[in-house]
Amino acid sequence: MLTPEQDHALTLLLDELIPPSEDGRLPGAGALGLAEGLREHALTPSIAQGLERLDALAGEQGAASFAAAGNREALLRALDTESPGALGGLLFHTYTTYYQHPQVLEGLGVDPRPPHPKGYEIEAGDLSSLAAIRQRGPLYREA
Amino acid sequence: MTEEIADVLVIGAGAAGAALAWSLAETRMKIVCLEQGDWMDPADYPTNRLSWEMERFGAFGLSPNSRGRREDYPVNDEESPIKVSNFNAVGGSTVLYAAHFPRLHPSDFRVRSLDGVADDWPIDYATLAPYYDQNAEMMGVAGLAGDPAYPPKEPTLPPVPLGKLGDTLARGFDKLGWHWWPSDSAIATAEHAGRAPCINLGPCIMGCSQGAKGSTDVTYWPVAERAGVELRTRCRVREITVDENGMADGAIYIDAEGAEHKQRAEIVVLACNGVGTPRLLLNSASASFPDGLANRSGLVGKNLMFHPYGMVTGIFEERLEGYKGPGGCCVISQEFYETDLSRGFLRGYSFEMLRGMGTVASALFAMSTGRLEWGARHHESYAEIWDRTAGMVVICEDLPELHNTVTLDPELVDSDGIPAPKLSYRLSENSERMLAHGVARGAEVLEAAGAKETLSEAPLPPAGWHLMGTARMGTDPKASVVNGWGRAHDVKNLFVVDGSVFVTSGGVNPTNTIQAWALYVADMIKQNLANLFD
Ligand SMILES: Cc1cc2nc3c(=O)[nH]c(=O)nc-3n(C[C@H](O)[C@H](O)[C@H](O)COP(=O)(O)OP(=O)(O)OC[C@H]3O[C@@H](n4cnc5c(N)ncnc54)[C@H](O)[C@@H]3O)c2cc1C
Repeated sequence: MLTPEQDHALTLLLDELIPPSEDGRLPGAGALGLAEGLREHALTPSIAQGLERLDALAGEQGAASFAAAGNREALLRALDTESPGALGGLLFHTYTTYYQHPQVLEGLGVDPRPPHPKGYEIEAGDLSSLAAIRQRGPLYREA
Repeated sequence: MTEEIADVLVIGAGAAGAALAWSLAETRMKIVCLEQGDWMDPADYPTNRLSWEMERFGAFGLSPNSRGRREDYPVNDEESPIKVSNFNAVGGSTVLYAAHFPRLHPSDFRVRSLDGVADDWPIDYATLAPYYDQNAEMMGVAGLAGDPAYPPKEPTLPPVPLGKLGDTLARGFDKLGWHWWPSDSAIATAEHAGRAPCINLGPCIMGCSQGAKGSTDVTYWPVAERAGVELRTRCRVREITVDENGMADGAIYIDAEGAEHKQRAEIVVLACNGVGTPRLLLNSASASFPDGLANRSGLVGKNLMFHPYGMVTGIFEERLEGYKGPGGCCVISQEFYETDLSRGFLRGYSFEMLRGMGTVASALFAMSTGRLEWGARHHESYAEIWDRTAGMVVICEDLPELHNTVTLDPELVDSDGIPAPKLSYRLSENSERMLAHGVARGAEVLEAAGAKETLSEAPLPPAGWHLMGTARMGTDPKASVVNGWGRAHDVKNLFVVDGSVFVTSGGVNPTNTIQAWALYVADMIKQNLANLFD
């Protein structure tokens, strides 16, 4: 379980990992509510630990906490540098949940629905060059 | 408990077992098929859910070792750079297959005569040709007649659409002047035998929610059952038993409740695939067959062949709409299929185009190749990949080698306590050279098609989906396990109809040939019923 403060900090952290796009079409991962799925998750203990370290790093720079700091991306990069791979599990979770979210699909120009039952239409393609290939004659060996 | 005697007992309800059972049904013999898996429900396939892409990490994964389904058996593949991908259900691995459906070439049956390696098959292309045609009707094969890489053949359905991605790649081949052709695909591109047409869902290898892909649960099985074949699911065979004369007399199996049964039979047919079949033969050792059933040659489980795969991915500037359309089927190229010694290796390979990735797979690909940034540049780095990738695989012919084996693992067992198979496999130098050639040529194609960058991986670890060679056919009982029509040399009422019998592998996906073989064996059984065991 995360404390309410940690929960809030996690939302801000997720918005650092995937911020909203400049054109406004794609939301930030935090604003999308992805922290919710991490409240009781296999990653929760390591997230809590990471947030504590981020608070400490923020403190070293005179901020009250990671959430209160103005340079959160720099703090995250500092954590990533001192513990390479520390963000790996969280990034995997964030990317995989973010990129199946209907709002994100819409922002990417994809119908926000499963492939079935509507499916997709695609073009037959240009088969005209096959005539030249056929003219090469048999490419197989008789046996 | 002993059950009524069957005329024919088929073990395994995948590609091969289905075709054989259907063909034999017209004899009105009592045919029973035992299958360890269950019927699949297309409404349960991942493409019905937004989370579809993530389900490849769960119950719709490729590896039986991580899927967590009770129907699966584990495979120890630690001693192989190529890992087994399969599925265990009615339809077998065709539930997940990509449905690429090429035939072997005539030269594939004459490898020793033409190229001086491996062995010739005891049958030839002409033997199987009518059965390829029969299979095309039953499975529904989309394609285009006139491919100069093959003797004339008539697909039953119009070709799978190329889409923007296929069209882009085809132009790459055109620029180089290399062969390409719309793929033969077991996909109903128009309504066929009650199957709805393909609607380009994308990931055929997660099961087809539309029922357009020709997996045998929607092709052969419904017809075979209507014709009287009894398909018993969730029944896992532990061993084939023999009588005092060394003839197979049935099989012992375990049902879903864990109860043991014996199904007696006059004829036993094995269709458990190139790993499941040798496993079962080796598990069926007895006083008459101390080294495993039908294994007096010592070749059961030897000569395991995969097709070593290379994968080349191109990154393009433009969007390709690659997430639409049958994932593994649009274009094949056999420019480098037939032997040309100047290339530095014997035999050859096919290229098959892959469509692009979904939104999640794009993120994971970008992440695993170090291209996805988090922070301010995240969206820019994602946009460089999303819907801008196209891939192709290089499918290399694998030659048989005695040291590539399926044996029984001394410790690992399945959920019923039956010893699991263990693979021991390494790539030959010939395969390494062929892969390197294919990957380099593949990159040339992608660049000619406009890719700004290419990446490759070879061998592709999860590509252990073509399982062949482990109970090879031949005329000499000392050098083969079954004869030229699938009957075990040592046990005259035991037949093998899956890819285990392949003498060599060719450089194409094997299922069309496996099924043509199963239909041929069924016809041989029908024609020889009066003196089948002579
Ligand atoms: C992801 C993927 C993609 C593929 N793509 C292609 C492709 O594009 N083209 C192509 O040609 N091939 C492809 N293949 C391979 C293709 O699926 C196989 O070649 C084909 O299914 C083999 O047919 P089979 O009948 O020999 O074995 P399977 O289809 O594997 O069927 C064997 C059946 O036997 C059952 N069985 C095994 N042991 C026992 C036992 N002891 N008791 C009871 N039942 C048992 C299994 O449960 C299984 O259902 C692909 C496979 C995979 C996994």
